[in-house]
Amino acid sequence: MRQFKASRVQPGAWWLLGLSFAIAASLSTNPIVLLVLSVCSVAIIVFAREKSAPWSNSLKFYLLLAGAILVLRLAFRVIFNYSTGQGVVLFELPALRVDFGFGSPVELFGNVGRASMQAALIDGLRLAAIILSIGLANSLANPRKLLKSTPAALYEVATAVSVAITLAPQLIESLQRVRRARSLRGRSSGLGTLAGTVIPALEDTIDKSLALAASMDSRGFGRRGTLSVSEVRTARASSLAAICLILSGSYLILTSGGSQFTGISFIAMGIGFMALSTWLASKRSNRTRYKKLPWVLQDFAIFSLGIAVIIAALILRGV
Amino acid sequence: MLKITDLTFSYSSTESPTLNRVNLEFSAGELALICGPTGGGKSTLLRAINGLAPHFTGGNLRGRIEVAGQEVTGSMPHEVAHLIGYVNQHPENSFVADTVEDELAYGLEQLGISPAEMVLRVIEIAMKLGLEDLLRTPLASLSGGQQQRVAIGAALVAGQRILLLDEPTSALDALASAETLKLLRDLSTEHGITVLIAEHRIDRLLDQVDSVVLVHGDATVSKASPSSAQKSTPWLLNRHSDKSARRTEPQAEVTLEVRDLSVIYPGSKALDSVSLTVHAGEILGITGPNGSGKSSLLWAIQGSGHRSGGTVKTKLGDPLELKAAARLSLITLVPQQATDLLFLKTLGDELRESDKFAGAAPTTTASVFSALTGRVNPALHPRDLSSGQQLALVLALQLVKDAAIILLDEPTRGLDYAAKQILAQQLSKLSDAGKSILIATHDHEFLGQLADRVIELENGHLVGESR
Repeated sequence: MRQFKASRVQPGAWWLLGLSFAIAASLSTNPIVLLVLSVCSVAIIVFAREKSAPWSNSLKFYLLLAGAILVLRLAFRVIFNYSTGQGVVLFELPALRVDFGFGSPVELFGNVGRASMQAALIDGLRLAAIILSIGLANSLANPRKLLKSTPAALYEVATAVSVAITLAPQLIESLQRVRRARSLRGRSSGLGTLAGTVIPALEDTIDKSLALAASMDSRGFGRRGTLSVSEVRTARASSLAAICLILSGSYLILTSGGSQFTGISFIAMGIGFMALSTWLASKRSNRTRYKKLPWVLQDFAIFSLGIAVIIAALILRGV
Repeated sequence: MLKITDLTFSYSSTESPTLNRVNLEFSAGELALICGPTGGGKSTLLRAINGLAPHFTGGNLRGRIEVAGQEVTGSMPHEVAHLIGYVNQHPENSFVADTVEDELAYGLEQLGISPAEMVLRVIEIAMKLGLEDLLRTPLASLSGGQQQRVAIGAALVAGQRILLLDEPTSALDALASAETLKLLRDLSTEHGITVLIAEHRIDRLLDQVDSVVLVHGDATVSKASPSSAQKSTPWLLNRHSDKSARRTEPQAEVTLEVRDLSVIYPGSKALDSVSLTVHAGEILGITGPNGSGKSSLLWAIQGSGHRSGGTVKTKLGDPLELKAAARLSLITLVPQQATDLLFLKTLGDELRESDKFAGAAPTTTASVFSALTGRVNPALHPRDLSSGQQLALVLALQLVKDAAIILLDEPTRGLDYAAKQILAQQLSKLSDAGKSILIATHDHEFLGQLADRVIELENGHLVGESR
């Protein structure tokens, strides 16, 4: 069997899977479901990531971030313990009243109730699960391939984002190199460490990005083609409007407070704007895409897994 | 094919122009070498042709540039991208994609070539440049010479008739740069592409090119045949310089003793049990292809680099066990990325800081620097110096430290012949004063003139030694 490779999968499919995990996590209040989602995210990253890709080495970062958020959430609940005093007391701490001289005094610590800790744990787990699912999309989807499938009207924005993504590890690499090189020169007293490392590393990164920009420009990046400036602006604006409308529409549908009708009409309007921007962008005949990744079976499988996760979460929640 | 009329370029309105009333003409299939002193305006001339100057560098351009009868003066680089290909000094910094195939296709995507035709063109250019087996390879895992070929392919994939290259062989070893040159020769002869190469290392090029553009450094530019260029210009003639500059014999005292030095990174052995002894006043050359372990050796000796095993003995002990200050006074290293050592806002500040740190009299560093590269406006930002001037600056900073052991990693990159000659004299003087000097370089000519011994590394092993 041919080895499974994350880069052969549509980056869009990975993002959909990651987002569906995030949506499922935000819908769920069941700690077991949240735990399962987190473990699944990490397992999928470990299984599918390609070690060679620079964006795939961020799992540790996401795990640390998720862990830190969980711990902070619990710690805050213990410190700012505004429990009503009802229910089972888990453990007792001496209460500390702090009077700031204005407003009502704040009570810190005190009796920690089981219910309040449980709520904090679930909150923390949910945030952790959301972070890990975004981490899933981010470590598996190649940002440059994602660039290939972005709508043409957003091409420039997407290029900026993907260049930024590739520059971040480069900055870290130059920081390490410059720190090592700095020891070769030494500094007279009175010159800060900051000046010695950060400035050369930043200059180096800026030089590199300028060289990259020059190379892109020399190969034709930035040709506007047959579209007028105002048409390009309209296309870009409607793309952004489409994304905003679809996102807020989904938010309204998924949260309990919003009205379903407004949500659905937002999404419909969003799709309308998207059609407009794609139509405008297709008028711009000048840019083409080399070997667009076709959607194949495994992409649809991952895509449908994402949809299934959302449906399951909705059913579990009893919608 | 390319016609430049009365081209004048200045970076700011107050300064004297970098290029003054330049008139040049190149025919189809011409291979031309652009050479001249460090910081003289070679890169500026190249960039002015496709619009990177002034659009990326700032400045003011006057005159007229025509490509195949069509005026392109003042065009943005992307407006002439279908006519002119440009290859940056560091191809690895110019890559947009992840794989060779996608990188080659990038220019075609921007120019709106249809997907079906793109596939054909990518294969066509890959065949032309011998990249057909590498199409799916990640760019990061290519050798320097292969990266150079991909960059050339990416610049020509859309059928550009003019190719501009800024120092295409300066970072390559002898074999890779010979291959690159042969490729450029073929492109011009067989495919009729006009190729303009800005280079310092002209010894190998002079016999290959059709014409030489001399950028004299006083803003004037002239064009000559290779043979007459050699006769008329003193800084080209220096190539067969005498070895009589050779100094007193090295002394008997051993200043550096390296035993079984190994540098092992996860998954690769950069250096495998290398041993060597260096005497006071000796100049040792270290050669070998890219990635053979030359830099790892220097860094490991200095003590800041990674070391997996072995010992380094100096008169103060193992540098690894020395405090930073003691290490600096014993060993100085000029790294390949020389600009990493620069962090102040002006050239003058850098020179003053260096005197202060070394405890030297004011202007000591400045005099070493100006001996290497001539007078330069001290108010300039170090990043605005040419790469040769930057290297000269870092050499000056490191040489005034008066360390007994001097390690140089590719010290002649970007230096013209005159500057190289002066560097050779400076190093001769230092070795006469009993300093031990280790030079890692591809520049055999430079070593031939200077080194007492040359060792050769290959895949981290010491494979040869010659006198």
